[in-house]
Amino acid sequence: MKRLFLELWENFKEYIVLVVLIVASLLALTFNENIAVQKVRAAAFGSFAGVTSVVSDLISIAKIKSENTRLSEVNAELMLQVNMLRQYGIENRALKELLNFKDSSDYPLIPAIIVAKSLTRAQNTFTLNVGSKNNVSRGMPVINDEGLVGIIHSVSEDFSIVRTLKNQELKLTVKDERSRIDAVMKWNGENLVMINVPKTHDVEPGDRIITSELSSIVPVPIPVGVVLKLTDVERGIFNEVKVKPFVDFMRIQHVFVLGIVESRQKNNLELNFYNRD
Amino acid sequence: MRTDYIYSIILFFPLLIIQTTIVPLVAIDGAVPDLILIMLVFYTIRNGQVYGTVLGFIYGFIFDLITGSFLGSTMLSKTLAGFLAGYFYNENRLESNFKSLVFSLIVLLCASVDSVIYTFITQIDSSSSLFSLLIEQGMIPGIYTALLSFVVVIFYPQRSIN
Repeated sequence: MKRLFLELWENFKEYIVLVVLIVASLLALTFNENIAVQKVRAAAFGSFAGVTSVVSDLISIAKIKSENTRLSEVNAELMLQVNMLRQYGIENRALKELLNFKDSSDYPLIPAIIVAKSLTRAQNTFTLNVGSKNNVSRGMPVINDEGLVGIIHSVSEDFSIVRTLKNQELKLTVKDERSRIDAVMKWNGENLVMINVPKTHDVEPGDRIITSELSSIVPVPIPVGVVLKLTDVERGIFNEVKVKPFVDFMRIQHVFVLGIVESRQKNNLELNFYNRD
Repeated sequence: MRTDYIYSIILFFPLLIIQTTIVPLVAIDGAVPDLILIMLVFYTIRNGQVYGTVLGFIYGFIFDLITGSFLGSTMLSKTLAGFLAGYFYNENRLESNFKSLVFSLIVLLCASVDSVIYTFITQIDSSSSLFSLLIEQGMIPGIYTALLSFVVVIFYPQRSIN
């Protein structure tokens, strides 16, 4: 019997190894949401990101001059906007006081630097240099000056992984800023699309898309992108709306984690689609 | 053989740092060259099919764990890529494989298969067409990776083969 096994191994060892490793890989696919696996993953990327952050810092230094010029321009534009918003703010506060309106809370911004990017067609992820030590937790939105970048997926002590909008695992409720139409948006591997939008709904190319207050992941309005075109116009009762994200995922280096502290009471009342431990 | 595994795994980490920090700067429409696959093909052609299959599995496992990819997706695609590259292992033709376009062609084939399998696993619910799957998501990253593999062909020292 032993000889038979040895003969089999000698003749077919390549295929035996292949089959065993394929089975192991397929088994691993089923363990993604396992808590133990997530802990191991957090420890692994936490250790590795420490090294990549050094390399990333060196790259950042090289890019800092052009980034400064761009930021100066953004600053000037923002200064004008802030002036205008300040006026609105004063009016708004006065009106709220008149109505005895419950004030909305401020959202703390945690500055972060992208220390590593894993770019694949279906699963773009970024590693940030902030973690649980900086009060970052799973499910927090990540933004930059252009709009929504993604959602925190895993957190270690000093680092965290973001699932960007270009990740198939991330689905968001968004809305058309002009017509206030809500829809689910996802990455289909090629484009960012709003799916199952009824043809009777008013969505047009050029409309700005923002996150919807219906979203249990990002409950504040954050710019996401602009409608490029409608597809599947000829058949069916639904349109698929292609969206061009505001964020340039190739160029992006500096981001902010939106430290949203959720209302447990609100979450318990609503159906929450995203488990944040 | 064991020492070879250790070297190839140690070398994997600096390459992964480059892959996740510098390579994204040269992305073209979201397609990036896969340095890890080039190294996998390189070691497989030197050490054989079983070695390549196991190394592909290890590379994929570490990659999935560190980058936050869907655990098992890169493991499967790199295992199959390593197995495929192993068909080109020939002790008597090592030099010709590394000092000619053959190496880049092997990389092209393996990178395309790797990309297609990876895309297929991660986009199993996608409405993408088969054409898009094979050409846009398989061949284009494959060609980009193969172009980069010319560096190995150009700079590979002849002595180290012997």
